[in-house]
Amino acid sequence: MPSPRFPIPQGTLDMLILQILSLEPAHGYGIAQRLEQISRSVVQVNQGSLYPALHRLQQRGWLRAEWKQSETGREAKFYSLTPAGRRQLAVEKDSWARLSGAVNLIFEEGSR
Amino acid sequence: MIQLLNWFRRRALERGLNRELQYHFDRRVADLTAAGIPEPEARRRVAAELRLPRVREEVRDVWLTRWFRDFLYDLRFSARSFLRSPGFTAATLLSLALGIGATTAIYSLVDQVILHALPVREPGRLVLVDWNGDDLITYATGSSNLMPYSICRDLQQQTRFLDGVLCRAEIQVNLTAGGDPRPVAAEIVSGSYFSVLGVGPTLGRVIEPEDDAAPGAGPVVVLSYDFWQAQLGGAADIVGRKVLIGNHPMTVVGVAAAGFRGVDVGAVPAFWMPTSMSADANLDEDDLLHSPVRWLQILARLRPDVTLAQAQTGLQPWFKAWLEESTRSPVFPRISADHRREYLATTLELASAPQGHSPLRRSLSQPLWLLFAATGVLLGLACLNVAGLFLARGSARGREIGTRLALGASRGRIGRQLLADSLLLAVAGGVLGAAVAPLAIRGLIAFLPHDLAANALRDTLSFRLLTFAFLASIAAGLLSGLAPAFHAGGDSLVNSLRERGGTGFGGVRLRKMIVTLQVAFSLILLVGAALFLRTLTGLLAKGPGFDTSSLLSFAIAPLQNGYSGADASRLIRRLDEQVRALPVARSSAAARIAFLNGWAWSNYVTIQTDRRIVSNRTVYFNAVSPGYFATLGVRLLAGRDFDRSDVRPVGEIGPRCAIVNEAFVKRYLAGRDPLGVLIARGGSSDVKPDSRIVGVVADISYRGVRDDSEQVFFPLFEHDDTGATFYIKVRGAPEQAIPSIRRLVREDDPRLPILWFRTLDDQVNRSLNTERMLAALSVSFGGLALLLSLVGLYGVMSFVVTRRTREIGIRLALGATGGSAIRLVLRDAVFMIAVGMAIALPCVAALGKLVQSQLFGVTATDPATIAAAALVLGAGALVAAFIPAWRASNVTPTDALRLE
Repeated sequence: MPSPRFPIPQGTLDMLILQILSLEPAHGYGIAQRLEQISRSVVQVNQGSLYPALHRLQQRGWLRAEWKQSETGREAKFYSLTPAGRRQLAVEKDSWARLSGAVNLIFEEGSR
Repeated sequence: MIQLLNWFRRRALERGLNRELQYHFDRRVADLTAAGIPEPEARRRVAAELRLPRVREEVRDVWLTRWFRDFLYDLRFSARSFLRSPGFTAATLLSLALGIGATTAIYSLVDQVILHALPVREPGRLVLVDWNGDDLITYATGSSNLMPYSICRDLQQQTRFLDGVLCRAEIQVNLTAGGDPRPVAAEIVSGSYFSVLGVGPTLGRVIEPEDDAAPGAGPVVVLSYDFWQAQLGGAADIVGRKVLIGNHPMTVVGVAAAGFRGVDVGAVPAFWMPTSMSADANLDEDDLLHSPVRWLQILARLRPDVTLAQAQTGLQPWFKAWLEESTRSPVFPRISADHRREYLATTLELASAPQGHSPLRRSLSQPLWLLFAATGVLLGLACLNVAGLFLARGSARGREIGTRLALGASRGRIGRQLLADSLLLAVAGGVLGAAVAPLAIRGLIAFLPHDLAANALRDTLSFRLLTFAFLASIAAGLLSGLAPAFHAGGDSLVNSLRERGGTGFGGVRLRKMIVTLQVAFSLILLVGAALFLRTLTGLLAKGPGFDTSSLLSFAIAPLQNGYSGADASRLIRRLDEQVRALPVARSSAAARIAFLNGWAWSNYVTIQTDRRIVSNRTVYFNAVSPGYFATLGVRLLAGRDFDRSDVRPVGEIGPRCAIVNEAFVKRYLAGRDPLGVLIARGGSSDVKPDSRIVGVVADISYRGVRDDSEQVFFPLFEHDDTGATFYIKVRGAPEQAIPSIRRLVREDDPRLPILWFRTLDDQVNRSLNTERMLAALSVSFGGLALLLSLVGLYGVMSFVVTRRTREIGIRLALGATGGSAIRLVLRDAVFMIAVGMAIALPCVAALGKLVQSQLFGVTATDPATIAAAALVLGAGALVAAFIPAWRASNVTPTDALRLE
């Protein structure tokens, strides 16, 4: 039986993480849950692959992390956006918009 | 960089990741159990969802790229295994440190003396302008690349090809800057000097074209940064201060940029002054700015769009016109028509000069390249040694490697591990080598011939040098690691596992090849050592031609202190008489030119016998006072020494005389009586031979111990004297005479500095500095090479014996004698030694041409020398091979068979 959800396209995970963190700081589990909610269960994200992405983004200086008390009272690692991360998000949003615009244009061309 | 940092805090990173993942895991489980799934089932499901081991591995890859991480693990593993075998580690580290340290030290000198471009703007566009002119007319003084000032001045108009022209000469003057006058080296330069080089001031200003506009226009000096710092304490108020050059007052207008030390690496100037003040610098001539005397070097900057060849061709028409013009000058000598044609055909020659101009470079570059090549061979030997040791160790580790291969490690992976081993060792060896290099460089500089060189050369490690040492280490690591790495990659797995512990196949053939090469390399170095040693001993045995013991010399340069030529002459004569009267002096005399110093006063000589001939090469001159030859102990072969009556007061006309040496007679007056023959300095047709030969003396050295030149001596005090060196045969130790001489000179003129006090023994030693450096270094390199190859040979032979213990034991059990066992092992060794020598001999013959010019009294392919070197190597090698062979003959059959 084919899965009703398709796997997340290559390279968009980073952008989605940045987008989620631009709203408020969150820990890994929180980001995973929000991803599920925001994508309305359409996009399937492997929970594990979140962590390499988070560490990569942190190493690039787009995220910063600190240990804080979470809603359950336990210490959790909270990620938040750095100014560089915010700029990166803008860049990625922009290129995404242009890409999807271009793809749409091609589809409309073909359907005419 | 961040990645490397992550390596060192990987433990903290791991802890953080674990906590983070644990949190995720627990929350997810809690959420699922809250949704009604039983806990064990929830845990199982979350574990499948998260795939924690893979996530961890992926995050680690983010921290540190995979191959890099693996390599660091390899390095850590290598370091641990090295620490477990300290003997092996020390042996390899020492080999590499010696090789790298020696190469780095020599490279430091090569870099400083030969390769280093001047610290000026675009040094690549600088060219040295030279004139292949006719010595007879252009008054060449035996030194290098000298030009008259007028060419420099006129060349500045040639802006189509040149972006600026400068000229400079090295001068020795007495500088008074508060305190006593002291002799210093300086540069006299054109006003364009600093702007053409693109060097600015640290303080005040540099010399500018206005300072050089007209004779006497700029009584200014610019101090060098080093002199300002070292001698004047970096005084901030130095600009505007008055100093005395000789006894001419000058104003300090600035300090040049730090790090700029003039254009001659061997002569570091204390200051610069403009050519307009050449009269004040007390050079011999009165009007150097207008005379045809060649006394400075010209450097020019090519225009960016012009090549060297274009400029050289383009300047010839102008130069032709300049030559024509110069023949119309009133001071131009009268010469024959042929001669004139030759003169007009001479050309201007341009040579790229990014390193400036330096006689030191010319004299040292060949010895330095030779030593550099020798250290290269030595480093190669050290690498071979390390490779051999690695192979030996690799065979001991055969089982470990076999097991790893069996467990699934790829051959590439194992090879990389071995490469990590050797790189780690090489870099560690390189660090050690770089640490000892400054000491070695200091030692090398002490060998160098010039006092000035000691000031000009640095023993510090520059960035370039460290880069070099690093590259050399990496190269050494790769070289010594490649063979074992390939070997490990190529050995058959089944074989290595089948072997019994400790006796794995150790690449014996490879190790034998390595030892053979080592033998070849060390024979080359040994032959070099023997050649340079014979050169040095030959020169020491030859000596300067007389007994140097109890001889002391000292020198003065009164012209530098503002004396006129006539006054200087009187002073020298006065001092000569007073020194002779000192109780410590057995005898004494004065000479114009100090010999064995590299200095020369030379020209062609016209000889009038029954016909007029001109010497076919330049003859060296000296002017000496009566008693000179007796003081030095030089034999008078015919005629007489000068006496008081030969010495003419200044300006007086009268009969003149000369003394020639044996070599002069042999070359030009063979078969006739030299006494009474008339000669004169100079070779042009207007020269009148007016000096009568009154004596012939035995040959003595002039510029250095090597030369056997033709020499002519004239009486001192005949005309203006520039300076003098006094030679005193003393009673007792030469040093004891120094205070009384110093007192004597000070009583005559308290402001006149004595340039040096030197014993003649010391002087001879100094003049052989380069030879001594070559001999000492090549002998130590040869010794090291010998040691390295003997150790290598011993190692491989011991290994062979261990491997063949069983076989030998069986042979002995079957009745073979101990002697035959020794022969069995030695046959192997002799074969390696013979092949090594056979490889080395053609190389020695080929390299011989390169070293020939540095040798004395021996040819580069001298059979006796080569045989001696081969004998030393062969004897040492046989001893090294005999020890394991002897051990083999003592194997008892029962022991050997028990090894089963």
